Amino acid sequence: MSVSVENLSVAYRSHRGDVTAVDGVSFALADGEIMGLAGESGSGKSTLGNALIYLDPRMKATGGTVTVDGRALPISDTRAMRPLRMTEVSLVPQYAMSALTPTRKIGKLITDLLRSHHVPDRQTVMTELKRRLELIGLREDVLDKYSFELSGGMRQRVTIIMSTLLNPSLLIADEVTSALDVSSQRAVGEMLLEFRDRGYIKSAITITHDLSILAQIADSIAIMYAGRLAERAATETIVNEPLHPYTQALIASLPEVGVRHDQVTLTGIPGRPPSLVNPPAGCRFRDRCPFAFDKCTQTPPFEEIKPGHSVACWKVSDSHAAVAGRAGQEQTV
Amino acid sequence: MSESAGGVPDVSAVVTIAVTPVGVPGGPGSTAIGRKRSDFVYYGLRNKKLVFGLGVELLLVLFAIIGPIIAKFSPEAFTGAQLQHPGGTYWLGTDTLGHDIFSQLANGLRESYLVGLLGAASASIVGMVLGFTAGWRGGLLDEVLQMITNIIVMLPSLVLLVVIGSYLTSRSVLFEGVFIGLTTWPWVARAVRAQTFSLRSREFVEMAKLSGKRPLQIIVKDIVPNMASYLFLVVILLFGSSMLLAASYDFLGLGPTGTVSLGTMMNQAQNEAALLYHEWWWFIPPGAVLTAMVAALLVANVGLDEVFNPKLREN
Repeated sequence: MSVSVENLSVAYRSHRGDVTAVDGVSFALADGEIMGLAGESGSGKSTLGNALIYLDPRMKATGGTVTVDGRALPISDTRAMRPLRMTEVSLVPQYAMSALTPTRKIGKLITDLLRSHHVPDRQTVMTELKRRLELIGLREDVLDKYSFELSGGMRQRVTIIMSTLLNPSLLIADEVTSALDVSSQRAVGEMLLEFRDRGYIKSAITITHDLSILAQIADSIAIMYAGRLAERAATETIVNEPLHPYTQALIASLPEVGVRHDQVTLTGIPGRPPSLVNPPAGCRFRDRCPFAFDKCTQTPPFEEIKPGHSVACWKVSDSHAAVAGRAGQEQTV
Repeated sequence: MSESAGGVPDVSAVVTIAVTPVGVPGGPGSTAIGRKRSDFVYYGLRNKKLVFGLGVELLLVLFAIIGPIIAKFSPEAFTGAQLQHPGGTYWLGTDTLGHDIFSQLANGLRESYLVGLLGAASASIVGMVLGFTAGWRGGLLDEVLQMITNIIVMLPSLVLLVVIGSYLTSRSVLFEGVFIGLTTWPWVARAVRAQTFSLRSREFVEMAKLSGKRPLQIIVKDIVPNMASYLFLVVILLFGSSMLLAASYDFLGLGPTGTVSLGTMMNQAQNEAALLYHEWWWFIPPGAVLTAMVAALLVANVGLDEVFNPKLREN
């Protein structure tokens, strides 16, 4: 178990009180696991990703613990986190293309980073860096260039190389593929897999709203809705037999290859997520859920109903309990 | 010599020439550093504005260093020959009291440079420290620093100088320089603060935070380089404006006591109505030198801007 997040809550301070963007989220990543984190805009997926590495002054962790490689991450203590960033936890930001300072050459920028992390043997790391550049098809001379001399895709790849250079245990890739064309998306996805296979990163969280890219690279997928986890399971399970009504609707809203959408209308999910300032009690998907019933006014627990498959939905856990109960009865008879 | 394929403009050829000789030896780190410095020198030497501005400035500095040595008279000495036209003995003539104008000019220029340096150094140190602190930290600290800045802006420096000066028996060059510095830093602080504010929310600064850099490192390595040309501009403009300000204080008789400066020369010329009597050799040299000094600085500054901003250096 390389990463484990227990009951993590993160809030934004605002003059109208705290806005809890991540509300009691728990999950664990096995060694070598790539987890996809999906959800619509404002569901708190980026906030969750950021909280694991850098809580900016507007944010605060209101509860929960994060453990990486058996060590608790001091996520609320930015000073204590500093040496762990890039070495234990690393993040490729949404803006990876503009994350390189325009006034320093790439090589100098990376040397600076190594120096600020007091890497003793910089020469070895630089040799390794060149090897990795070659691996992803960049020429060594990018190190001698300014960031604006590279194309967007090259900058993106350089940023990913930079974030993974010190072999972090956890890499958070926040919307890394969103701004890329389809073939580059695939290349970046494969790059993550390659890095995982070679042990450059131990585990990764890929944040995106694009489920199709997750289907290609993620081992498991977590679906987030209005600050809470709705469902978490292996990728095939999420894609083929999702249980949470929100996941089902999300999968149903994806276009499929071979279907002519002038004949079959693509369905969306009616309604919009609730405001996270004073969110309604109970299940937050209630208002948009076709299966909502009385019990949904209480918050559903995020329960593991099968090994490796957790869902937060009364309907699912009730029917599962019923099935399990019947199975139990049959055994006693 | 690198070939340029077909219609490729000269620019790329120039870049390759600049790079190849330096880029070969040393490891990756040293290569990047070595190339960067050589880039600045390379582009600097090819920038006409910078070369012209620095050239004029260099001549004036040489004059300020060598002039007092080769001058035949001390600037305060009464030579006995009053109101001489420029000529063999008195290269730039003499004033009504018989002071040698050449000697006064050379010594005065040296004085002006000294005040300029002191003023620019103290103003930029105070302004940048406060500007970076306020811009980076923000919040309450920023509010307090802004308030102090606004108070200093409101102070009428001339009146303040008269008041302080009346309590002092003598004023030194050091006093004048530091006084100028401590009254001109607010606009530096404001501009640096504003730039820091906008830069600190840029993506590469966020990235630097995410990769575990310390705040001071981020300011020095990510924020300062992105406003380096601006900071140079500030220091150079402060240098020029300190000299002008010193000259005007001197002209008003508020300058350092017991020394000669370009401003005091013009003050005396004004007092003795040199303009009225067409004693041009008395007031034109200090005026011309002062103008050349400040103008050359500004020209050099425009050139420097082009050198430091890789995006501006196209020609």
